[in-house]
Amino acid sequence: MSIVLSEEKADRLDSSLSKLLDESGATYAMLTDMGGNLLSKAGDESFDGAALAVLTAANFAATKEIASLIGEKDFSLLFHRGENENIHFSKINADIIMIALFKPYLSLGLLRLKVDSIKEELHEILGE
Amino acid sequence: MAIINFKEKIIQIKIVYYGPGRSGKTTNLEYLYSSLKKKFNGDLPSKLITIDTQGDRTLFFDFFPIELGKINGLDLKLQLYTTPGQVMYESTRRLVLKGVDGVVFVADSLASREEANLESFQNLKDNLAHHKLGLDDIDLVFQWNKRDLSENGIPLLDMESMENQLNSSVKTKSFPTSATLGTNVFKTLNVAAKLSVTSVIEKLLDKKHDLPN
Repeated sequence: MSIVLSEEKADRLDSSLSKLLDESGATYAMLTDMGGNLLSKAGDESFDGAALAVLTAANFAATKEIASLIGEKDFSLLFHRGENENIHFSKINADIIMIALFKPYLSLGLLRLKVDSIKEELHEILGE
Repeated sequence: MAIINFKEKIIQIKIVYYGPGRSGKTTNLEYLYSSLKKKFNGDLPSKLITIDTQGDRTLFFDFFPIELGKINGLDLKLQLYTTPGQVMYESTRRLVLKGVDGVVFVADSLASREEANLESFQNLKDNLAHHKLGLDDIDLVFQWNKRDLSENGIPLLDMESMENQLNSSVKTKSFPTSATLGTNVFKTLNVAAKLSVTSVIEKLLDKKHDLPN
């Protein structure tokens, strides 16, 4: 699946991500496809965004293989806890992953709730 | 899986270096990376990402993004990947091919690797088929790598027979290369990029209605 993002679509994706940051308290959000192509991002980026997109896609692909080893189709959500940063990955649809960075004092439950709540909006923008 | 983003004005294309184990796929990327790093005085926005095992065999992939000027007013970004060549890393090879636009097949010129080249090429076709793609759906370029070794008296396959064995049905461009010395490394990439960009633009832009005029 190749993707053409018009200016309008790209703007709407950007503002959905900014809204997620405002509402959840996350510091950074990104959308990437399963091929590691960065689609949209919002928030402070003090790292290589292209690399994050690529490694996330690879991470998803690798855990999908783990899933199939234990008889699951895939894992729709991944979460890594760090000392100063946490990272949350969730599947928006079969081809798109959302990445959110958030501080350890923020509630994971709240973040998951907020991510879920903008999924529909993203589906609509991505034309589903 | 190419991406065109009209807000950021970028067109992004995925090129995968494929080939048997130890044929020089990672060396290609390392050469590109170190030459560009030198050219920009160490000031590159992205690093070469490499996930390898002990003994420098690629475990997952190597990755490096390059920006290559403008096309139709859009910045061209290439995402370069290598695959692990060793036979046992089948599933990761398949994963890296997801969304591929162009493939550089790095064939090993060593006479002893004739069979490995053929096996890897068949494996490329099988793994593309896994993504419901055929060789016609991607842009392919061949490298006959390690040509420099002939100077040391090491027996190499002659290029004509490599053409016959690998390129007789596809009939695409091929280059004699030495990834360690950098011979034709940039040239292969340029041609692969040009072919892929042309097909992506044809495929994506001609069919879409939401284009700016």
